[in-house]
Amino acid sequence: MSKLLIDKDFKRRIEEISDQKLSDCYQCGRCTAGCPFANFMDAPPNQVIRFMQLGLKDDVLDSQGPWFCAACLVCQTRCPRGVDIPRLMEAVRVIHLRAKEGLIDVSEIDKELLLDAPPLALMSAFSKYTY
Amino acid sequence: MRIPYYPGCTLYTKAKPLNTSMHACFSAIGVELAELPHWYCCGTTFTLARDNRMSLIAPLRILAKAQQENGKVLVPCSICYNTLKRANYMLNEDTETLDIINEHLEESYDGNEIVLHPLEFLRENEELIKSKVKKNLKDLKVGCYYGCLLLRPQQEIQFDDAESPTIFENFVSLIGATPIDFPLKVECCGSYLVVTSPDAAIEASYKLLRNAQGNGVDAVVTSCPLCFYNLDALQEKMKKAHPGFKQIPIFYFSQILAIALGVEEKNLGLEQNKVSPYEILKEYDLL
Repeated sequence: MSKLLIDKDFKRRIEEISDQKLSDCYQCGRCTAGCPFANFMDAPPNQVIRFMQLGLKDDVLDSQGPWFCAACLVCQTRCPRGVDIPRLMEAVRVIHLRAKEGLIDVSEIDKELLLDAPPLALMSAFSKYTY
Repeated sequence: MRIPYYPGCTLYTKAKPLNTSMHACFSAIGVELAELPHWYCCGTTFTLARDNRMSLIAPLRILAKAQQENGKVLVPCSICYNTLKRANYMLNEDTETLDIINEHLEESYDGNEIVLHPLEFLRENEELIKSKVKKNLKDLKVGCYYGCLLLRPQQEIQFDDAESPTIFENFVSLIGATPIDFPLKVECCGSYLVVTSPDAAIEASYKLLRNAQGNGVDAVVTSCPLCFYNLDALQEKMKKAHPGFKQIPIFYFSQILAIALGVEEKNLGLEQNKVSPYEILKEYDLL
């Protein structure tokens, strides 16, 4: 078995941006159980948090989970430890976005949707997927 | 009575029916909605990154503007409501950030404006509404869909219980319709994922509409223009993915309130609904 590469700076960065303490999570899995989009995620919320706790930078950053988080806050409401999980997911997204990765590309949005969707759908997506 | 009103961008475009029916309802109960002068976008989604202060500027400026008018501002759009209310809460908790932003702006804001949703206003004025109801909606079985932003985070929004809210059902009962409970009334419709991952939004919205139908609703009522879009406009796509799916009409809360108050049909904006609401309204003799 190979040794895990623990990146402590990365852990600190996640905690700073999100203002959450990763050690508060005891992995009960309630966030994932209630997440409406967990079945779209390669790594569901509790697994992304486990990667964070272990300082596994690459696993966190490669995970698609945070991109399916709609910030609906069901997990935040139900977490028995008071962890604001959507803030952790946002931290992953902003680390990517500030490095100019994962930015929304208007030319890739469905044309019919662009004309049809309410402005707040587009504005929300633009504000979530830019920096 | 006169109350400052912040419509937000979508009420002038794709959610016009919410705006026209809001004005019609409030004029019917004798309340003037005084639109804030020169308002701008609230910034939509509230930022969850603690090191991002820029996104608090737009909400703060709107709150400062509202404060010049009155201590309360009425906000019907769930996203605007959530963003303004969370920003307000945060600026109250974090006075250092409030001071820093104030220093850079012409306006100044003290954190004391009250952001009010129309359903909260209606809760506070039950007798007034009751006295103005002209049409009985009693057989119409309504599923009240709260979505996320009116409820969460509970500590900051304080609208109702985040897991088992009742304010919407009480409103529906007040105007004489029959509220039908369904477990997924507080679950996410997919929100802005409709832009980047449409399948996730189609599935989430389908799941909750099926859940509402399984509990016997005739129609689903909401307050959020984005939920409205996902629940209403995506039904064609739900049908493609799930051939057995039967379409169901969606209303803004202000549209059914307007019907109960006897507002003229031309002010309801029903023609903009993608799923026709006319059959069900005719069936119950409401048009």
